[in-house]
Amino acid sequence: MEILYDYISWNKQGDEEGMNYAVKRFIHLIPIIFGITFLSFLLMYLAGSDAVTEMYTNRGVEVAQEIIDEKKAALGLNLPFFQQYVNWLWGMLHGNMGVSYVTGEDVLTAFMKKLPATLLLTGLSISATVLISLPCGILAAVRHDKASDLLLRFGSFLGNAMPNFFVGMLLMEFLGIQLGILPVISSGIDIKSAIMPTLTLAIAMSAKYLRQVRSTILEELNKDYVLGAKARGISYQVILWKNVMKASMLTIMTLLALSIGSLLGGTAIIESIFMWDGVGKLAVDAINMRDYPIIQAYVMWMAIIYVFVNLVADLLYHHLDPRIRLGVNAK
Amino acid sequence: MLNTKKLWKAISVGLCGAALTVMLAGCGADNNSAVDKGVLKVGVTNFADTLEPTQNFFGWVVMRYGLGECLTKFDEKMNVQPWLAESWSISDDHTTWTFKIREGVKFSNGDPLTADAVKKSIERAFEKNNRAATFFKYKEIKAEGQTLTIVTEKPMPNMPGFLADPLFIIVDTSAEGSRDFAKEGPICTGPYMVESFVKEKAVMKKNPNYWDGEVPFETVEIPSIDDPNTRAMALQSGEVDMAVNIAAGDMDNFRGNDKFFVDEISSLRVVLARLNQKGILKDDKVRAALICGCDRETYNNVLLKGTFLPGKAPVPPSMDYGFDQLTDPNAYNPERAAKLLDEAGWKDTNGDGIREKDGQPLKLDFVVYNSRAELPLYAEAVQADLKKLGFDINIKTVDYNLVDQMGIKGEYDLLISNITTANTGDPEIFLSWYWKTNHNGDNPQNGSGYSNPALDVKFNELAAEFDKSKRRQLIIDIQQILLNDGAALFLGYPQTNIVSNKALANVKMYPSDYYWITNIIKPAGK
Repeated sequence: MEILYDYISWNKQGDEEGMNYAVKRFIHLIPIIFGITFLSFLLMYLAGSDAVTEMYTNRGVEVAQEIIDEKKAALGLNLPFFQQYVNWLWGMLHGNMGVSYVTGEDVLTAFMKKLPATLLLTGLSISATVLISLPCGILAAVRHDKASDLLLRFGSFLGNAMPNFFVGMLLMEFLGIQLGILPVISSGIDIKSAIMPTLTLAIAMSAKYLRQVRSTILEELNKDYVLGAKARGISYQVILWKNVMKASMLTIMTLLALSIGSLLGGTAIIESIFMWDGVGKLAVDAINMRDYPIIQAYVMWMAIIYVFVNLVADLLYHHLDPRIRLGVNAK
Repeated sequence: MLNTKKLWKAISVGLCGAALTVMLAGCGADNNSAVDKGVLKVGVTNFADTLEPTQNFFGWVVMRYGLGECLTKFDEKMNVQPWLAESWSISDDHTTWTFKIREGVKFSNGDPLTADAVKKSIERAFEKNNRAATFFKYKEIKAEGQTLTIVTEKPMPNMPGFLADPLFIIVDTSAEGSRDFAKEGPICTGPYMVESFVKEKAVMKKNPNYWDGEVPFETVEIPSIDDPNTRAMALQSGEVDMAVNIAAGDMDNFRGNDKFFVDEISSLRVVLARLNQKGILKDDKVRAALICGCDRETYNNVLLKGTFLPGKAPVPPSMDYGFDQLTDPNAYNPERAAKLLDEAGWKDTNGDGIREKDGQPLKLDFVVYNSRAELPLYAEAVQADLKKLGFDINIKTVDYNLVDQMGIKGEYDLLISNITTANTGDPEIFLSWYWKTNHNGDNPQNGSGYSNPALDVKFNELAAEFDKSKRRQLIIDIQQILLNDGAALFLGYPQTNIVSNKALANVKMYPSDYYWITNIIKPAGK
């Protein structure tokens, strides 16, 4: 009776608490963004070189020192490190992300222009990952230690062992050159060009995710209630689809949500390899050119995505699993 | 268990379906080269964000894409040849250059190319980029009909070479009001003109007003493929017909493959180790021993897989400055090296493998930066070879930014560089920077303490010499003196390449990196 009372009272405050929780998490974002932008600024500074040096010296000609100094002064690159960071931060706090040192383009505009391509690639990769790893993971769990399970586990080890740029190269060689059915380089942001980068990302992700799905379902299958249900003569299909899947789905969804963050980060190399014109490629190019404002924008984007996705996963857990809610309240 | 079987079946059917789709799609693949349809596809790496030729080094791209042309250009031996200028001459006092602008040339918009248009274009370059003034400073530019006169303050022997720099691409300044050169591309005189441009991909179309013969392609598509492996694969899959600078590891797919044509030449760069003559290396015999102890053939042919040519002289063989006639007294010969060290008094007295003299070990600092992959490899190879002779080489890796200052201050025994020798077709600047005597800082780049009065005489003659063949001979003499003196260790010359499939003819790499897409590139058999 007392438990029931607790549950009702929690539900009343539930929305309010959820809100507080979300706000708290967003407040946590502030020190994270300060810290991460400062660190990335510092690391770029310590890595040596700067946008002006890269622009001039990489062309392989002697450029007079006055020209280099003049350009550095114009961009504020001759200032002490800390002042450079503060200048950037000051602009950012006033809603001005600055302009690219290399192109002179507004950072926010440049970034937003490339974002849809990355979001499309991410969306496709997640869909492909779900399509590959869910059925395969369920199959592997159900056929535990049978040939199909061993095969899938072997495939998953293989997928985990290969770095994704290597998978990309293999796909290019096989689908692009040997079979000649897909373009090696993207001819724009379209579905045909998206297949190979999507597959590359999905293979690595699925390999990891398949094992998580498999172990989650296996764990659930080994619980007492499954044995009990079997003893009562309930058919295996009903147990599997009505009980086990329902109970496992929450963990599976959470794991998936968490991997979106790493996927959004992982696109950088793949975008560069496949000439997919998204923010990842923008960031890699910016790093090569020491274009601080663009790098900072990318770092902030990554930080926000990570925090946001984690928050969504937490809230999802919080909201869907009554055990967690009660646990919170019992404190 | 029925359901798992169904699931298994569903997956099998799905996989078969996918495989079938792949196979069917394979049958429908388009194997015809686009070249037949008048489209040329070129895989490049593009660093330019805009096509404004005066911005940074973006003029290089304007020229590489077949869009812009200069008054002059460099041929395959870096000799200056007429282009938009038909001929030129210099006044007796060496300060007035007269260029005859080619008759009948039109900009792609149909405007005629006059001396006045050229004048405005050159003035525009000076106005927009202060790098222009580092080539030459002019007192006055005059235009009359097709005659352009440039009056300089000081004699400028290499003026025609300077004007071949893409910074001086001739643009139609009168078109600028109605056109954004940066985004839509400048109006120039090249075989192709811009249809669309973003950093990632440019599309060019035929210039209907082109002056120098027929333009072979209706359209040129130029995707920028930054990843070298991807660029090679795009060429193999036929998505591009030609590609520039294929990486060393991928070259084996193309060399000796009858579907591709490879044009590989040495670039204008040299990798060298400057030798500081203020320390142990002051002794001529020790320097000679050091140089002839390094097996440069092996470094370049084996270690760097033939992507570099073995070094000998300061100026690479891609230029016509007597590479083959120069003799290197310090060619690889470890026995001679050991003997020279013995003669100089360096002996291993304590048996630790390192030679000593007057209690001082034969220890040298080799300063290296590693932003270029080959530099640490060279340094380690030199270290290993010289170890055998009793040198103790200490490799100091520093950031590229520091190298310049360390070179000027002479804070090294050996200092590695990968540098361009003759961007404007003439190696005078490069040679005098590093080896002309530095009197109290009047030639700061020479921080090595190297000085040879006989060489300085040659440099002074070179600075005032306008005759081309005499200049060439002086540069050869200077190089021979440097080799005889063991002034530096010339390690190798990077190769550069352009690879095309056999659907194309006349694809050629020039030592000067400006001429990739030209009007002589044609479909094969036409």
